[in-house]
Amino acid sequence: MARQIMRFTGVGGQGVLLAGEIFAAAKIKKGGYGLKTATYTSQVRGGPTVVDITLDDDEIFYPYANDGEIDFMLSVAQKSYDLFKNGVSEGGTIVVDPYLVHPTEADRKKWKIIEIPIITIAKEEVGNVITQSVVALAIANTLLKPLDKETLVSTMLSKVPAKVHEANKKAYELGEKYANEASSK
Amino acid sequence: MASGTREVVSSGNELAALAARDAGCRFFAGYPITPSSEIMHEMSDLMPEVGGVCIQMEDEIAGVAAAIGAGMAGVRTMTATSGPGISLKAENLGLAQMAEVPLVVVNVMRGGPSTGLPTRVSQGDVRQAKNPSHGDYRSITLCAGNLGECYTEVVRAFNLADRFMQPVFVLTDETIGHMHGKAMLPTEEEVRNGIVPRKTFDGAPEDYRPYECAPDQPAVLNPMFKGYRYHFTGLHHDSKGFPTEEIETCRKLIQRLEDKVMMHRDEIELNEEFMLDDLTGEEGEVLIIAYGSVSLAAKEAIRHLRAQGIKAGLFRPITLWPSPAESIKKYTDKIKNVLCVELNIRQYTEEVERVSGRLDIQGLYKVNGRAISPYEIVNKVKEVF
Repeated sequence: MARQIMRFTGVGGQGVLLAGEIFAAAKIKKGGYGLKTATYTSQVRGGPTVVDITLDDDEIFYPYANDGEIDFMLSVAQKSYDLFKNGVSEGGTIVVDPYLVHPTEADRKKWKIIEIPIITIAKEEVGNVITQSVVALAIANTLLKPLDKETLVSTMLSKVPAKVHEANKKAYELGEKYANEASSK
Repeated sequence: MASGTREVVSSGNELAALAARDAGCRFFAGYPITPSSEIMHEMSDLMPEVGGVCIQMEDEIAGVAAAIGAGMAGVRTMTATSGPGISLKAENLGLAQMAEVPLVVVNVMRGGPSTGLPTRVSQGDVRQAKNPSHGDYRSITLCAGNLGECYTEVVRAFNLADRFMQPVFVLTDETIGHMHGKAMLPTEEEVRNGIVPRKTFDGAPEDYRPYECAPDQPAVLNPMFKGYRYHFTGLHHDSKGFPTEEIETCRKLIQRLEDKVMMHRDEIELNEEFMLDDLTGEEGEVLIIAYGSVSLAAKEAIRHLRAQGIKAGLFRPITLWPSPAESIKKYTDKIKNVLCVELNIRQYTEEVERVSGRLDIQGLYKVNGRAISPYEIVNKVKEVF
């Protein structure tokens, strides 16, 4: 597998970090290498947050995504989107929550922009806003396919408390469904 | 310690805490500070499980003071902080150097000076680690360059602290502390088997002279409250620890603090040589000197440079202080093009200049809280050589 680089962005407190840890751990479980780094500001909540995930069959040294090499970005906050979008390679995929992020027309020409209401799915369909990171995980994996679903879901379940396993499984299924629908449009 | 067979998926900060537990640390006192806080979070889980203590003190100063107290009681002890915390702890770190108390201090570096850039990466405390407090003594400073070393260097720090009876620093940084991935570690059993407990005096208590030792050896401090009494002070002191201004005693004490480290540098030095074996000193070869998280970018840069036909290699000191002077000079004598890469301005380059006797060392420095990317290193090499 060639190196795959994903970037999840939001604002502090949204919980985008967990998805990165799950991807890295699942890739390592499969015998490869995975690294997650998070960059955040000294604001406790509300500051732009970015999580870079690098997956490779070979050893990874430098843990951050280089600008222009990111295959996939997911964003749930306008200011983070604006700050970090230019890291995505031309023609790369960017998933945004349409209620929170408004890409420009130029952006839509440069990247494949997919709109999925991530927060609304978590809040209203799953019934727990915290599951947004698992909705995001499912979307990223469905669109970019870095890992098989079974490994990823079992890794995810090992990292969340047992009492929310059902909610997170549901979140994953919904994320996958919306991603499939959006990409077939 | 070589990398091992135990696969752990974790972050640098969590690995540092795990290492402390496995190395026999049973006391942690500190005051949480970004980006080191996860070490304390983890220690608060790990210490009670093994009968140890983790205590959040009222400030940074009290954190190191309590850790020194535990060290005096004979317990393996650690504190963790970031640069601003080291500044506050400096006075007590000097006390631990003077009174010869073993202690591990992890500094997860962030942007400075002062409160600087709390959540951003830096290597700005390299010079501070050499001399955090006033007076003559020799710092032992180790620097983790990957996730595995957040573990192995903390283990090594505990063993060196007990061997040399003084604080030992482990420098990591925001990048490596928060990076999450795979580390190959030695087993707990291998770590346990590597522990050499500090020396103790077993003779009659009335014959106990903790500071009466060979001119190149550390003090022998028996645990307090076990019948072996000595005086504990930051003043110049005699063989029983009582203050003195006697000329020869004062001279010998400070000379011994110097010599106990500098005459045993071979026990402390540790380096990584990455893709250096085929560098022969021919025109066009490039020696990169980097340490800590920056070495990760340097390794990736070397892959790119070699793909483009430029023969480059990395010399990475893992023990920063005392510096591996002869090892650096061996390479700087042989290779003309030398580039130091640091997340500060020339803090280690000046040491490389000193030990190499060369003033034409090139540098790439960054102090805006952002990591140096492999491409920046590649471009710099092409620009200056």
